[in-house]
Amino acid sequence: MTRETFITYVEREQEALRGFLLALCCGNKDDADDLAQDALVKAYLSSSGYQDKGRFRSWLFKIAHNTFLNHRASQRTMESIDEARTLVSNTSADAEFLHQDLYLALSTLPPKERSAITLFYLSGYRVKEIAQITDTSEDAIKKQLSRGRDKLKKELTMENGL
Amino acid sequence: MTKDKALEELFLAQTPHFTDGDAFMVSLTKRLDAVEYLKQYQERTIRRYKMAMVVAFVVGIISGAVTIALILSTPADVPLFTFHVQTGFLLWLAQNSRLFAATTLSLLMTAGIFSIISNVQDIIEMRTRLETL
Repeated sequence: MTRETFITYVEREQEALRGFLLALCCGNKDDADDLAQDALVKAYLSSSGYQDKGRFRSWLFKIAHNTFLNHRASQRTMESIDEARTLVSNTSADAEFLHQDLYLALSTLPPKERSAITLFYLSGYRVKEIAQITDTSEDAIKKQLSRGRDKLKKELTMENGL
Repeated sequence: MTKDKALEELFLAQTPHFTDGDAFMVSLTKRLDAVEYLKQYQERTIRRYKMAMVVAFVVGIISGAVTIALILSTPADVPLFTFHVQTGFLLWLAQNSRLFAATTLSLLMTAGIFSIISNVQDIIEMRTRLETL
């Protein structure tokens, strides 16, 4: 894939990718954009091995998902839910930021459940596709979705009632 | 697996829209330029490294062959070097000068070959790192 083709594809998909990472980063736009840039550089470097089968977005999401998990793993100290709440409310003071409750609820989910839920509800992928993107079995994805959905509903009900 | 309608609607209603797409792409292009520059720099370094290694190898082989030929072309009954001192050890060294010169040269050539193998391994590692970057 040439650089021009890559950039053309990215221009088309960048909004979806950034939205996905923004949800994974619980509304932290700076982190999400940094991760998006890192993921796109990784994608560019491995674009010679990409076979165009009309699945550029899935391929990009897979790289972004791995980048997000690596980023999470590199953060040694796990934030407690209370800290995450503070983090979300502090970094989300952006005027464009309107989705605080949802991101706040997402921040209570473990990264894998958050990925599965985001890919399922925000990006509209099916279980089979999510399993391919996250390199997990379909059964595991179903469990993550079920658990994630319950937790999310509980959190959202606690906050403002769904 | 069926979707939870309420959650689906919530996600759909809150799909973010970015107004800074152009700035994001400009920033990405700058990063890609930097990556391209680094990639080309690394490739140039590998090429230079490879060339230096080939030159060193050829020079080593030629100089080794010439030196061995010179040693072998000297008369067998005349020592290669003498110390003009009649002490036991130095006399013994002078008498076996051809053997010592050949051994030293062989050791140097062996060290050179090990160094070349090590350089080849370095280049292969650099290439692998570059590809998996």
